[in-house]
Amino acid sequence: MSKTGEPIIKLKGVSKKYDEYGVVVNALYEVSLEIFPGELVSIIGPSGCGKSTLLHCMGLLDRPTSGKVYVDGRDTSKISGKEIALFRGEKLGFVFQNYNLIPRLTVLENVILPGLIMNRDPAELEKKARVLLEEVGIHHRADHKGVHLSGGEQQRVAIARALINDPVVVLADEPTGALDSDSSLELMELLVELNKNRGATTVFVSHDVEIAGFGRRTIALKDGRIVGDTREKGVDFKKVLKKLSTNSREE
Amino acid sequence: MDISRRLAIGELKEHKRIYAVIIIVIALTMTSFMLENAYLNYMMQVVDDTTKLVTSDAAIVDPSCNLRDLYGTEVELKNAGEIAKRIEENLPGYKTTIRVTAQGTYGLGVKGEAVDGCTIQGIDPERDNEITSLADKIVAGRFFSKNDSILRGHTPLYIEIKGPGNLPDFVYGTSERPLEGDKPYPIIIGATAAKMHPSLGVGKTISLTMSVSGKETSYATVNVKIIGMYESGTPTLDALMWFMHADSLREIKGYGEITGKDWHIPGVGTFRGYNPIKVDRDRGDVVLVKAPEPLHKLNPIGYSEEVKEKVSSIFPFLKVYSWHDFLVYIAGSMQDVVTIMLWGSIAVTLFLCGAAIKYVMDSIIMRKTREIGSLKAFGARDRVIFKIFLYQGLVIGFIAGILGVLFSLLVMYLVNWYGFNVEFIAGTQLKVSFIINWLTLLISIVLPVVLSVLAAAVPAKKAAMLSPVEALRKGELSL
Repeated sequence: MSKTGEPIIKLKGVSKKYDEYGVVVNALYEVSLEIFPGELVSIIGPSGCGKSTLLHCMGLLDRPTSGKVYVDGRDTSKISGKEIALFRGEKLGFVFQNYNLIPRLTVLENVILPGLIMNRDPAELEKKARVLLEEVGIHHRADHKGVHLSGGEQQRVAIARALINDPVVVLADEPTGALDSDSSLELMELLVELNKNRGATTVFVSHDVEIAGFGRRTIALKDGRIVGDTREKGVDFKKVLKKLSTNSREE
Repeated sequence: MDISRRLAIGELKEHKRIYAVIIIVIALTMTSFMLENAYLNYMMQVVDDTTKLVTSDAAIVDPSCNLRDLYGTEVELKNAGEIAKRIEENLPGYKTTIRVTAQGTYGLGVKGEAVDGCTIQGIDPERDNEITSLADKIVAGRFFSKNDSILRGHTPLYIEIKGPGNLPDFVYGTSERPLEGDKPYPIIIGATAAKMHPSLGVGKTISLTMSVSGKETSYATVNVKIIGMYESGTPTLDALMWFMHADSLREIKGYGEITGKDWHIPGVGTFRGYNPIKVDRDRGDVVLVKAPEPLHKLNPIGYSEEVKEKVSSIFPFLKVYSWHDFLVYIAGSMQDVVTIMLWGSIAVTLFLCGAAIKYVMDSIIMRKTREIGSLKAFGARDRVIFKIFLYQGLVIGFIAGILGVLFSLLVMYLVNWYGFNVEFIAGTQLKVSFIINWLTLLISIVLPVVLSVLAAAVPAKKAAMLSPVEALRKGELSL
């Protein structure tokens, strides 16, 4: 579990460079930030600004070119390649834009999958999965195949799946990206509710201002740099958005 | 259940159609392998049984002899009894028997108008039977018994032909009649000979003229009574090879203490007679060697050469022929070529099946990249992903192997039940039958498993090595 008052995720001078066909692209540039327990953080920015890269670095799916990522107080650069998978499975939960449910598995099986990967007791997992499905309002479809559900329903299943291992933080990459506006709003309300009721620390990425507005804290990203953070004193959501648009005009 | 196995089973179910096709192709390949191998085993067994009637595992002859002489034109092998004894002393588990051989010509019909030839192997019934199991091959009449008149009691007509240099100055007819009232020697003939000459049958007495010494060109004509008929499985050999008691031939050839008087043939001359004779059982023309049953039955040729080497090391000055030498002499390297071709064709087909598995899995992995990325995000280690695909290969190979074995057993059962025969010479038939050994069975299951696991290992490794981010991104691109 996270230490009270200590950041759950801490990025210190994180940069990420890609080599695309011989051209070096700076996806992230000297990004430093801290995510604290219980926060509901939205990361907003235009396409290609590095939002997903930032989330991947936080989620230990990708290693930064330089800088350090601390998760639950541990310097992840010191974790070996083999161990990182286990650490990721234990500490982090993921929600993807396209849900990524395994089509041949039932809703229940999809939810318990990360728990099985972590070698947890299947009976316990099933019990817990049913509770989670109830919480996300999809328990009545537990034995259906994931593919037979609507987009909104599938994403609810994905949220339950992200919570099955009691992660210290849930990372959601454009969770409403594949949903219609009604379903998007319903899903965001669910995330807010889970954050409030369960205290599930959540970081989500969106390019949609309305969706990003569900975050209790918003970080604006532009060209791989943080250009605004509502955690800073005197900076609210509107100012963050303004900074984003100002930066765009300056460019 | 292990998560990799769970997911592998799901994958197998999801792609059951394409995998079923691969399984069937591999299974049919293994069926063909099993059938060909089992038939080859049967053929080898027949060839083994047949050629070993002449050579057993190895045959020791006089250094002046060659392979052709194994058909009965050997000269006497000096100290045959001593040689046999030393082999049994030096090579534990080895058995030996001494044979006396000759070549024969027999006349048929009232005037002896039909003439055919044979090779006569004089055997010590008990000892020889332990090595060749000839008694088990008797299909009519009987094997030798103690009551048989093995020794006739007086010398047969025995003529030595001597001429200037290498040329004989006198040639005697090959079907000269024996003396009237002569007791016939018991003889066992091959079934094919009887089919070719229907007047040959059990109980019939015929005259047989023998070239009793290949190198000295001397002849004897005797009466023989057919007491039995054998079938070895190779009709050509059954047409040629007849069996007499070794002591009968010893008497005919004069292998023993000669106490007799000379013979006078009016108008021809006086010849040395060997009558009566006390046969010497240590004398003979060939020593057959039987080695203990090999552990590596899959490679009988190699074992045969091993036996030859061991025997040769004891008697480097003698000529030792292995069973395989004789096989090559009568059939060339046909058997070896068939075996190589069988393995070659199986290897090519299995290679293609392996390639098919690899490419099917490659394409599945391409489509499943995002799924692999998700599993990695959920904490799956590389080896979990690797095992998902490896298990699939394992299951495909195992099912294919088992199905292949079951298919081939069914075909073998049906062929045996129907009784499939192939026409051979003189109205004889070659039976199509199968012998399955445990090794063939094991190979038929293990080979496809190894093949499909190896074929799956390449894409499995590729999938395992995917970085989670790349996998998630590529998955998105592929949609």
